[in-house]
Amino acid sequence: MESSESGTLNGQRTEGNSGRAGGGAISVGQRVDRVSDTAQEAWSRTRETVSEIKERLDIDGRVRRNPYGTMAAALGIGYVLGGGFFSPLTARLFRLGLRLGIRLAAIPFLENEIRGFAEAAVAGSDGQEGDGEVASSGEGKRSQQKGTKGGKR
Amino acid sequence: MEMTEQFEKTARELEDRIRPQIEEAKKKVSDLNERAVGYIKENPGKCLLGAIAAGYIIGRIASR
Repeated sequence: MESSESGTLNGQRTEGNSGRAGGGAISVGQRVDRVSDTAQEAWSRTRETVSEIKERLDIDGRVRRNPYGTMAAALGIGYVLGGGFFSPLTARLFRLGLRLGIRLAAIPFLENEIRGFAEAAVAGSDGQEGDGEVASSGEGKRSQQKGTKGGKR
Repeated sequence: MEMTEQFEKTARELEDRIRPQIEEAKKKVSDLNERAVGYIKENPGKCLLGAIAAGYIIGRIASR
């Protein structure tokens, strides 16, 4: 059991120990160095990428400019990631928001309509009063004319 | 007339009694807001991660 395991390290054959280390063979130390180099390179690349993304997204700046908005956006992202997007709560919130939005949008329209009605009503009552005066004066004239006509007869 | 004066007096007294409490509450809310904003600005990453985690938990609860 030990003899079969002695020549391997993590499933790989250690050529250096077996005495077959030639020109093309790589020792364990070299492999470890290579792996650590690769890991370091990957780590530095990841850090560069992360810092680049940070610069591009300007997260710090966004948070400084609008802290509550950024927090709300993060909360929303988490909510979507948590699978809450297609849920009854979202549907209810969406319906509530829609209703509120429609009401808020309808208020100026209704205000204009009511103002128009009120102005029309005021103008109509003024007109009726004017017409009433005109009509009464016309009737007076007519009666006067009738009287004169009757008098003549 | 007397009733109106009495009503005005009561309203004024009520206002005098409530106004300091409202002012204090306003000050407290403003102070809390400033502290929250300051904390968020000092620790943006932590706050963002916390908000995402909170949203995730809420989303998980809502999806059930």
